[in-house]
Amino acid sequence: MRRKNRNNNDPTKASIFHGTGYLMNLTSLIIVSIFATGISSIAVQIVTVREFLSQFSGNEITISLVLFCWLIVSGLGSLVSRFFPKKSINLYSIIALVTALLPLIQITAIRLFRDTIFIHGESPGFYPIFLYILTLSAPYAFLIGFILPYSLAVIKARGGQFTAGQLYITDNIGDIAGGVLCSFILLYFLTPFKIIAVSSFLLILISLLLIIRMKRYLIFLISLFPVIAFFVFSFGQGFEPSTLFNQYGSNIVSYQESPYGRIVLTKEKGEYTLWESGTPIFSTFNITAAEEKVHYPLCQLDRIEDVLLVSGGMGETFDEVLKYAPRHIDYVELDPTLIRVATQSGLLSPKAQVTIIPTDGRKHITHTNKRYSAVIVDLPEPDTFQINRFYTKEFFEKTKRILEKDGILSFSLIANPNYLSEVRIKKLSSIFNTVKQCFRNVLLIPGREIYFLASDGQLTADIPLELKKRSIVTSYIHGFYYGDVTKERIKFINEAIDPAEPTNTDFRPRVINILSKEWFKKYGTSPNWFMAGLLGVLVLYLSLTRKEEYVLFSTGFAAMGVEMLILFSFQVIYGYIYLKVGAIITSFLLGLLPGAVLGNKWKKRGKGMLLRAEAGMILLLIVYLIWATFSQSSMPESVFLLYGFTFSMLCGFQFPIAAEMIGEERSPAAGLFAADLVGAGAGTLAIGTLLIPLFGVQAAIIGLILIKAASTVVVLRA
Amino acid sequence: MKRHISRKEFLKEMGFISLLVATEGHCFWPSGKNEEKKDIRGHVFKNDAPKDLWKWSIEGFHYTTNGKDVQCGVCPNRCYLRPGDRSVCRSKVNIGGKLYSLAYGNPCAIHIDPIEKKPLSHFHPATSVFSIAAAGCNFRCLNCQNWEISQRKPEEVNHYELFPADVVRAAKEKNIPSIAYTYSEPTSYYEYMYDTARLARAEGIKNVWVSNGYINRKPLEDLAQYLDAANVNLKSYDDGIYRRLNGGTLQPVLNTFKLLHEKGVWFEMTTLVVPGYVDKPEMTKRMCGWILKELGPNYPLHFLRFFPRYKLDRLPATPVKTLELLRDIALKEGIHYVYLGNVPGHDAYNTYCHNCQKILIRRIGYEIAEFNINDGRCKFCNTPIPGRWGAQVGGSK
Repeated sequence: MRRKNRNNNDPTKASIFHGTGYLMNLTSLIIVSIFATGISSIAVQIVTVREFLSQFSGNEITISLVLFCWLIVSGLGSLVSRFFPKKSINLYSIIALVTALLPLIQITAIRLFRDTIFIHGESPGFYPIFLYILTLSAPYAFLIGFILPYSLAVIKARGGQFTAGQLYITDNIGDIAGGVLCSFILLYFLTPFKIIAVSSFLLILISLLLIIRMKRYLIFLISLFPVIAFFVFSFGQGFEPSTLFNQYGSNIVSYQESPYGRIVLTKEKGEYTLWESGTPIFSTFNITAAEEKVHYPLCQLDRIEDVLLVSGGMGETFDEVLKYAPRHIDYVELDPTLIRVATQSGLLSPKAQVTIIPTDGRKHITHTNKRYSAVIVDLPEPDTFQINRFYTKEFFEKTKRILEKDGILSFSLIANPNYLSEVRIKKLSSIFNTVKQCFRNVLLIPGREIYFLASDGQLTADIPLELKKRSIVTSYIHGFYYGDVTKERIKFINEAIDPAEPTNTDFRPRVINILSKEWFKKYGTSPNWFMAGLLGVLVLYLSLTRKEEYVLFSTGFAAMGVEMLILFSFQVIYGYIYLKVGAIITSFLLGLLPGAVLGNKWKKRGKGMLLRAEAGMILLLIVYLIWATFSQSSMPESVFLLYGFTFSMLCGFQFPIAAEMIGEERSPAAGLFAADLVGAGAGTLAIGTLLIPLFGVQAAIIGLILIKAASTVVVLRA
Repeated sequence: MKRHISRKEFLKEMGFISLLVATEGHCFWPSGKNEEKKDIRGHVFKNDAPKDLWKWSIEGFHYTTNGKDVQCGVCPNRCYLRPGDRSVCRSKVNIGGKLYSLAYGNPCAIHIDPIEKKPLSHFHPATSVFSIAAAGCNFRCLNCQNWEISQRKPEEVNHYELFPADVVRAAKEKNIPSIAYTYSEPTSYYEYMYDTARLARAEGIKNVWVSNGYINRKPLEDLAQYLDAANVNLKSYDDGIYRRLNGGTLQPVLNTFKLLHEKGVWFEMTTLVVPGYVDKPEMTKRMCGWILKELGPNYPLHFLRFFPRYKLDRLPATPVKTLELLRDIALKEGIHYVYLGNVPGHDAYNTYCHNCQKILIRRIGYEIAEFNINDGRCKFCNTPIPGRWGAQVGGSK
C-alpha cells in the first residue's frame, strides 16, 4: 500500500505516463551527474593519493596501494550495483550528493585518524598502511564504483535510452575534464579542501536539482545543512590548517601545496623544520650533515671552480661550500615552492656566488654545457622511480660528462656504520659497482650515512688532515671524525662490497627492489601473504568472469601497466617535470574518449573489432619492447604522448564492443566496469611494485604482452 | 556467452570478496593485540626456537624451570617459554626444558670507540674502548639506530666468532683499557657479557655497560661486581612514553639506577629528547627531583638531540634551544653535570666545575683540548670532581 502511494506520488513515474519532456530532463540531469561524478572522482583521487603520500612513506608501494585499494573497492561497488534491486532516482540523487560531500570527510579523516591509530611521528609498516588506506578510502571508492552503473540502471528503469558505452564515454569526458582541471589549474592555486569543493560543486548542484525535480523538498532542506557545512569547512580559513596540527603541531609558519607535494614550515623555539609531504627534510642547525656532505668531497680537490648541488642546499650548506672560495655554486632544486618557502624563512639565503635553478637535477645535468669541479647530490634513498634515476649507470655517465678532469661526484645512502645487514650490503654493493663502472676510484666513508666519493683522481679518507692543510675550520669533523669514522670502520665498509652484485640501471632499477626488501625488513614483515592472498582471490574472480569481462580485465591491467611504464621511461629521459608528467597522464585519459566513441560506432561488428584492438595493443607493446631493449634513446616527447593516447584509445575502443557482445538487456555495465577497475588495480600493483623493480622494464612489457596474448586467445575461442 | 548471475552466484562472489578482505585483514595487527597500537612491548615468539643448538649457545643464567617450561629471570619481561619458544629479546630459547642463550661468542659488531662516544664524560677521558654487540634487545624503541642488530635474532645477523677469552685477548693485544657491551642491548646477551666481564676484570681490563637498564635485581647484582662504569638510558620519566616509544616500563629502569648507586658503579644517564614526548620541562623537573632524591647530584646527565630515524622518522630534530632549556632546568634543580649531545661545537660538551664553574675539560668533539683535573680534584678550587679519572688522561690528539 505504502509502495503504491509512493509510486503515485513519484513525478518520474508521472512523467513516463504524461509526457516525455520531463523524463528527458531528468535523464539529462542524471547524465550530467555522471559527467560531474567523473570530474569529482578524478580530482578526489589525485588529492587522496597525495594525502596518503603525505601521511606515509612516499614510495611506490604506498602509491600502488592507494590506487590498488581505490580500483578494487570501486570494482566491488560496481559489482554490488549489478545486484542492487531498487532503481530509484530519489536514492540516486542522495547517493550522488553523498558522493560529492564525502571526500571532505575522507581527507579530514585521513589526517585526523592517523595519530589515533598510529603512534605520533611513527611510520607504520605495510599491513597497517594497507588497512588504513583500505578503510578510509573504501566508502568513497565504493560509492564511485557503485554510482556509475547504478545511474545507468536508474535511467533504464525509467525507460530512458542510454547504453553502457555511452555511460563509459560520459564518465570519460568527466574524467578528462576533472584531470585537466585538477592537474593543470587547481593544484597550482588551491589547497586540497578547496580543490574538493570546486571539483564537487557541479555534482552537488545536480544532486540538489534532482532532489527538487523529484519534489523531495524535505530532503532538499535537510540536504542544505551538510552542503552549507561542506562549503564553510572547505573555504573557511581556519579549518583546513587545523586538520594538519595532529601531524605537524600547532607551530605551522607556512603551509603550501605545490604540484610536487605538501610544503610545511614549522617553527619551535626559533628553529625551523621544513617538511615535504610529511617528511622532515631539514631542521635548523644540522651542522653534521652539512659538513659531511660538503667537506668529504670538496677537500679531495686541489682547485675548486664551479660546484653543482643537486638538492640539499638549506641551512649551513652554502657557507660550508664557500669556505673553499669556489667561483660559483649552482643549486638545483625541483620544487619552486620549496625554494620560495625556504628563501622567505632564511633557510636558503641568497648569495652572490649562488644561482638557484628550479628544475629537475637530472635534466640539468643532461643539458648543461657547464663543467663542474664537484657534483654533490643530496637526495633521499632511491626507493622510488623518480629518485632512482639519480643512482643509475646512465646518470653517473651523464654526471661524469659535466665534471672537470678528476672532478668528484658525491652522494650518500643510509646505512649503519656499526653493522651492515645483507640487504644493505646488496644496496651499497649495487650502487658501488654501478658508479665504479664510470669512475676510476670510489671511496665509501661511513659517516652519519655512507658517503660515496667517486673520481678519476686520488681519494683519501683522512678528511681532517685535508681540512687542516686548507685551514678550514669545522665543528663536527674537527673533533668527531677520527672517533666516528675510524680506520677499521672505513675498512669494514669498503671490504663489505660484493663485486658480484648487479648494477643499477635506468631500465633495470634493481635498487628499488632492494630498498623495498629493506623496508619490509624494517618492519619484520613480508608482502608474501598479501600477494598470495591476492593472487588466490584474483584467480577465483577471473574464473567467475565472462570472457568479454576478462578481455576488459586484461585491458584495464595493460592500460595501467603501460601508463606506469610510460611515466617511468619518460621521467628517466626527460626528468620529473610536473606539467609534462601531467600531460602524459592526460594523454591516457584523452585517448579513452575517441576510442570509446569509435567502439560505440562499430560495436555491432563484434569479435573482429575486439581482436583488431587486441592486435593493436600487442603491436604497440612489441614496439615499446624493441625500443626499450635496443635503443632507449631520447625521442621527441610528443612520441610518448602519442603512444599513451593511442594505447588508451584502443582500451577505450574495447569497452562498448564488449558491452554489446554480452548484451545490454542484461545490464552488463556493472560487471564490465568492475572487470576494468579490478584489472587496473591488479596492473598497478603488478607492474609498479613487482615487475619493474624485480625484473626491469623489458620483463614488465613482456608480462603485459602475455596478459594481452591470453585475452586474445580468449576472444578467439569465444 | 550471455548469462545472468543468479542470487546464489552473487552470494558466492560476495563470499570470495569477503575472503579477500579476511585474507588481507588477517595480516594487519600482529597477534591481534589491541595494546600494540599504543603499547609496543614485545611478545614471546611461539615455536620459533631452532631445532638444535648451535656453536654459540650456552645454558642461560637466572632462570627457573619445571622441567618443561622455563622462565627467564634476567630482565623484567620475565619471558615464560614453553618448549620451542623464543624470548622477547630474541636471544633466549627453551629447548628440552632448559633455557639457552643463542648469543654467546658471536658478536655482530666489533669496533674501537672513544669512551666519550658511549657517552661517558667522567670515566677515563680520551681513552679507547673495545666495543662489542651481539644481536637482540628486550625493548622495541621506534627510533633505534641499531635496529638491524637489536631487532634481529642471533641467527639472522652476520657475526664474528669471539668467545669471552678472545674478547679479552683482543682488547689486551690492542692495548685498550676497557671493554664496552653496547650498540644493541647487552642484557639480551647477558651470559656472554657476564663471562667476558669476569675474565676482563681478572686481566685488569675495565668493563663498561651501555644499556637501557631494563634488568632484574639479581642478575644486575651479579654483573655489577665486575662493572666499572655504565651509561644507562633514562629514556623519559613517564611510564606511558616508555610503553609507546620503547616497549618497556619506567620503574625497573629506576631500580637499576638505584642498584648501581648502591653498588658503587660509576654511571652516567642519557636522555634522548624526542620532540613532543620527552621535551616537557615539567617532566624534566620531576625526573631531576627523583635523581637528586635517590641518587644525588653527582652522576652526569646527558641530553641528546633527536634526529628522525628508523620508524620514528616523522618528527623534527630537537630544537637546540629545547636542549639548552632542559639543561638549564636540570642544572637549576641541582644536577651538577649536565651535557648535551649531537650538537657539535656546543659549549655543553665541556665539563665545568660544579663549585667554581671554571672549565675542567674543554672538549673538541671526542678530543680534549684542556684538562684541569688533578687527582680527581678541580685544579682551581680543589673540589673533588665525581667520576673515575684514572692516573692520567690518555691518547688525546
